Amino acid sequence: MAASGGGRRDPLAPSGSPCAFSPRGQHYFSLAGPDGHLRVWETASSRLHQDFVPSAHLSATCTCLAWAPPRSLAKEGPQRKKRKSEAVGTGDQVDLLAIGTAVGSILLYNTLKGELQSKLVSGGHDNKVNCIQWHQDNDCLYSCSDDKHIVEWNTQTCRVKCKWKGDISSVSALCISPDGKMLLSAGRTIKLWDLETKEVYRHFTGHATAVSSLMFTTLRPPKESQPFDGITGLYFLSGAVHDRLLNVWQVRSENKEKNAVMSFTVTDEPVYIDLTLSENKEEPVKLAVVCRDGQVHLFEHILNGYCKKPLTSNCTIQIATSGKDKESTPSPIPILAAAFCSDKQSLLLVYGSLLQPAIERVSLHSKEPHMCLIRDINCWTPKIGVAVTKVKTPVMNSEAKVLGPGIPGHHAAMKATLETEKTESKKRLKENEQISIEERLGAMDIDTMKEKRKGDLKADSYPVLLVQGLESNDCYMLNKVLQTRKDTLIRNTVLRIPVYAVIPLLNELTKRLQGHPNSAVLMVPWLKSVLTIHASYLSTLPDLVPQLGMLYQLMESRVKTLRKLSRLHGKLILLITQVAASEKTQGVPPPEQTAKLVYEEEGIETLALRTFASYI
Amino acid sequence: MVAEENLRVVRSGGSKLNFRRAVFSADSKYLFCVSGDFVKVYSTATEECIYVLQGHSNLVTGIQLNPQNHLQLYSCSLDGTIKLWDFIDGILIKTFVVGCKLYAFFASVHLEDSVFIIVNKEIPDGFQLASLKLPKSPSQEVEAKELSFVLDYISQSPKCTAFGREGQYVVAARDLYMSVYFFKKKKTFRFSLPSGNKKNCNNIFTCIACHPKEDCIASGHQDGRIRLWRNFNDNKNYTYTSLHWHHDVVMDLAFSIEGTSLLSGGRESVLVEWRGGIEKNKEFLPRLGGTIEHISASPGGDLFCTCHSDNKIMIIHRNLEVSAIIQGLVKDSVVNTGLMIDPRTKALVMNGKPGHLQFYSLQNDKQLYNLDIVQQEYVNDPGLVHIELMKAAFSSQGNWLATVEQRHEKEAELELQMKLWEFNEQQQGFILNTRINMPHEDHVTALCFSDTENSETPTLVTTSKDGHFKVWILTNDSDIYKQAMGWTCDFVGSYHNYQATNCCFSEDESLLAVSFEEIITIWDSATWELKCTFCHRPGKIKNLCFGRQTCSKYLLGTTEKSFLCCWNLLTCALEWSVQLSVIVLEPDPNSDNIAAMSWSSGGSDLFVFKPSEPRPLCIQKSMCREKVQCAVFVPRDVPESFISEDYQWLNKSQFYFLNESQDLMTFSTKSPEEKLTPSSKQLIAEESLPTTPFYFLMGKHRKQQETNEIMENELIYHPSAEDIPAISELLQTPAHVLPSASFLCSMFVNSLLISKGTKSAEEIPDDIEMESGKATDDSDEENDISEKVQKATNDTVIEDEIIPQLSKTQERELRKLRKVDYSWMCSL
Repeated sequence: MAASGGGRRDPLAPSGSPCAFSPRGQHYFSLAGPDGHLRVWETASSRLHQDFVPSAHLSATCTCLAWAPPRSLAKEGPQRKKRKSEAVGTGDQVDLLAIGTAVGSILLYNTLKGELQSKLVSGGHDNKVNCIQWHQDNDCLYSCSDDKHIVEWNTQTCRVKCKWKGDISSVSALCISPDGKMLLSAGRTIKLWDLETKEVYRHFTGHATAVSSLMFTTLRPPKESQPFDGITGLYFLSGAVHDRLLNVWQVRSENKEKNAVMSFTVTDEPVYIDLTLSENKEEPVKLAVVCRDGQVHLFEHILNGYCKKPLTSNCTIQIATSGKDKESTPSPIPILAAAFCSDKQSLLLVYGSLLQPAIERVSLHSKEPHMCLIRDINCWTPKIGVAVTKVKTPVMNSEAKVLGPGIPGHHAAMKATLETEKTESKKRLKENEQISIEERLGAMDIDTMKEKRKGDLKADSYPVLLVQGLESNDCYMLNKVLQTRKDTLIRNTVLRIPVYAVIPLLNELTKRLQGHPNSAVLMVPWLKSVLTIHASYLSTLPDLVPQLGMLYQLMESRVKTLRKLSRLHGKLILLITQVAASEKTQGVPPPEQTAKLVYEEEGIETLALRTFASYI
Repeated sequence: MVAEENLRVVRSGGSKLNFRRAVFSADSKYLFCVSGDFVKVYSTATEECIYVLQGHSNLVTGIQLNPQNHLQLYSCSLDGTIKLWDFIDGILIKTFVVGCKLYAFFASVHLEDSVFIIVNKEIPDGFQLASLKLPKSPSQEVEAKELSFVLDYISQSPKCTAFGREGQYVVAARDLYMSVYFFKKKKTFRFSLPSGNKKNCNNIFTCIACHPKEDCIASGHQDGRIRLWRNFNDNKNYTYTSLHWHHDVVMDLAFSIEGTSLLSGGRESVLVEWRGGIEKNKEFLPRLGGTIEHISASPGGDLFCTCHSDNKIMIIHRNLEVSAIIQGLVKDSVVNTGLMIDPRTKALVMNGKPGHLQFYSLQNDKQLYNLDIVQQEYVNDPGLVHIELMKAAFSSQGNWLATVEQRHEKEAELELQMKLWEFNEQQQGFILNTRINMPHEDHVTALCFSDTENSETPTLVTTSKDGHFKVWILTNDSDIYKQAMGWTCDFVGSYHNYQATNCCFSEDESLLAVSFEEIITIWDSATWELKCTFCHRPGKIKNLCFGRQTCSKYLLGTTEKSFLCCWNLLTCALEWSVQLSVIVLEPDPNSDNIAAMSWSSGGSDLFVFKPSEPRPLCIQKSMCREKVQCAVFVPRDVPESFISEDYQWLNKSQFYFLNESQDLMTFSTKSPEEKLTPSSKQLIAEESLPTTPFYFLMGKHRKQQETNEIMENELIYHPSAEDIPAISELLQTPAHVLPSASFLCSMFVNSLLISKGTKSAEEIPDDIEMESGKATDDSDEENDISEKVQKATNDTVIEDEIIPQLSKTQERELRKLRKVDYSWMCSL
């Protein structure tokens, strides 16, 4: 259906380059650049498929392009047996591209073989070819030119079948009717020709300027009854140079029609038009018009009779650079062509430079009247001398988040097994915030208490420093305290810190344990003494599990490799320390009871970290 | 094979391209390669497949250009026929029926009337090279039975047989033996190498190539050595030199067409060009991406091509630059990821090259690209364990891609990595968002994205053998330094420490089904609460899926003990179960149909059913001989409208599946005749290129010029030194008896002037006239003499003019006469 969209372009435009999508699925996009090269791109991968330079590309520049209707290349074998599995075949292959040139010759280029197949010259045009249309059923080709003639070619023999004068001025556009029996031509006026007799069937007024595009928009006439000539009642569309209106005409039985049935208005003159043919009365015609200003306007309309007011577009698509980085401002990226995909729900957009256009499939689900796509065009700058490869490397930059065992986010956050929390699991974030507020309140208490203490406890500056550091989150202060290696000093410091500083300290230790192993190993004695000394306090906390879940997971993940050994080690330490403690109890008042479980874990953890550190 | 006449299983491309050496056409424009039962014709310029030559009914094993007509191609096949094709138009010209399995085909320009084939006679491992006379008969199908055996006990591979210079001899190798048969002498020479039990020495022959100009044979060996054999028409005095660069098997060898360089390749995926057969003089083309299996050179000498193990053909320019890549569907031994559809490009996605995801366009039967997921240089060595891509999944809009890679070298050393890629619209490519090391403690068995389009947070579920399943959600990781989104684990679930094997979201994303060995658990995706469990003992759950659309209240599962069960989620009861050993269970995303493929000894069967209806929509018994590995429904762009009930299920989606031999198959409803009609209707336009201006300038005159040239060639007679007596005299006479140089000079010059025939004869007298004209001033006597001279010269001129074509003897006489005259003058 989009096959009819091939090869339309503005003949008088200096900048609009002829381009066309291959019919049936738009696998290829061909574009004749201003440098005389004909390039064919694969639409699925935006990859340059081939680059062809016609021999006379500088004098006879390409003025229009048209893909041949697809043909199947599978040949009938003389004796074919029914086979269990035969190839589904490469299907309908598109292989021929007709190229009209400025000197009046037409080239047939074979895109499969990548070579010129034939050149239609003899008896043809002697001036610029303006438009080429393939007949969809037979091997005919129609071309029109500035020399006022329309020529019908036989592509098999490469001879002129018929040549007739189409207009009193140059003929600028052609279109073949859906049933293949009529031909529309646009010169000064739009004429409908009967292809059998080559006689004018109907006249239409046309535009004030040269018509650049003609297209039938309906397949069947609106009325159920089939008209005698198969054409009456059909609508077609015409666009012209320097004209911001696209007119829709209806072929009527009486030959008096002077005015267009309706019109679409766009922001600039149309450069490339594609539409989906409506197969029945109810189905709207979808129209995509690429304008000279690089925008695409989409229309959706059910064609039924007159409409006086010009219709405006349902949706406008623009593409621009992001302009976020550096000082660059967002600049528009021109859209070169657009075509509806076969599902009619998405649009293939070609944009960027003519040398290296980007091809993208955009789905049209949104109802917004204006779509602005932000694209980074710099990554498609032409690359020269790049080795042929079919490997794409996705970007792996350092900004990517890295998760490993023990790092928060790798494992689900620990949740307290409270009944209330079960229901509101999704509000975890808020909860955390609340806790932090509590802590802040607690920290305020610390402040006041600390000031009280400061006077009498001057000797033990380590605990004070630590508490201050924790409170102000001062790295320098914390480093000074936490980087000590003396076991007794650590033990004494931990003994003297206030209990409300325990949890912040543990959090700080956890954060540091996740860091570099060299610094992490210094945290191990700290963690050990915190857990041994403040175990009783920790066990009283109601929200211990969510608070220390991360630490637990960290330890779990680090002791994983030598689980049994570390357990044994932990138990041995437990025994030894208990024996030592029982010996000590004879003289000294009994120390705080420690929870066995936490104690054991500590042992495990210590060993694991030691082994881990030594491993590193 | 087909239950319904209209619904047929057809191969949908992705066939093997690297089975045999590719062959260039004489003008290097086309490349032929064997692909299953077909021969494919590719254009070397555009990488496009131009024709598929179909006609063989079994694997095609060899192709070669017809040496008598370079526009024709021979192909031989295991079906026992040799076919002759016209590849320009893709037409079968002739079929020669041989009757036994043919393993390779050779033809040589110099051995006109016969071709050579490798056949297998009686012994299972005994292959023979036989010459076959192709009868000249006009009929299309000819019996060719005139076999005569040339060499016995050779290798099956055509790489181990080669024809020597001008078809004088044939070389075949097998194991440690190489035999050379000379056709003229009808004599066989055998050479053997020591078995080489030492380390790094394995002399088994792997390939053979013959020098096109000299008597030289190159052989490749298992240990990476290349030997150049010379003097092999002698059983004892033969010599060989060895070239060693490859560290592993030399897979193939090829001489360039003029024989100046030798190309070799192997597992290193480096093409080595040995120039002049010298070990030091070599060039490399590295990083070709896969083991080089075959190398061939074009008859024009401008192109080489290499076939690689990853099903690709690379066309390489003479200066070792890759000019084109023909890439088929990469065949890995196992398709770990299964088949997926990229929602964005509608391409088929599966794992391809090691560590890559391949995107394959089903419409074009062409690979779009490989996405490098692992991003590590692939070192092709048999001992190495590589990072493998195990699982991949796309989110429903194609915005997210999750991949799981693993490296499992030893039992305890499992390395896992999960990567989450975001599709960046600005750059139109995937960008790594989150990398998760060891997402689970054991193998990841399944992963799936939640399916709905309008959920605010994308959700990913991974299941693992460690007994857990993890739910990952996208969260906002922004801080004061950057805006960032990242994935974090939201929930970890387990069920009695059973291994989690499958996971699946219901269509509306409200329920998650996770199977733990024999038990299916249903979780509420809002709160991650366990809702209910289903079980159908005995047998572990193999496949799991929810019904779609109208059947969304059903949950389907298959067990190892060959049961297909359907549970109703509303009543939490088993709705029905069937005893069927289902291998693949695949729901159609666009309809409520579900396809189940089962395997029995007869082949694979397909059942398409609606969970709500007791009767299946379509049953295809033994539609495929091999086991089906994985399958996928591909949504159609334009829905078809089949009315027949049997293939109504294909209306909205096309069904593709991959069998064990890794052929991609699909169902076609068109009959083969119908499919072929358009081609007959439309004939291909004739090639007619008009005369170019250049032709008018040059070509038009060329014919005249050619004739002129012939004439000129007759006229301009370039005498060689020996032909002119004066020169020969000069050269032959000893130097000491020669007269003075001034005397010789004029003689010498004159002897050269003769070749210009009449012209020279005219000019020289003129000169003399002038001289004599000057001389007249001096004396009268001289005047007289000069007149005489003039007369004499005039005589000669007249003579020359009258008889322009003098015989050689006459000429010689004339020359002598002139010589006499001049000497006389000089003396004056």
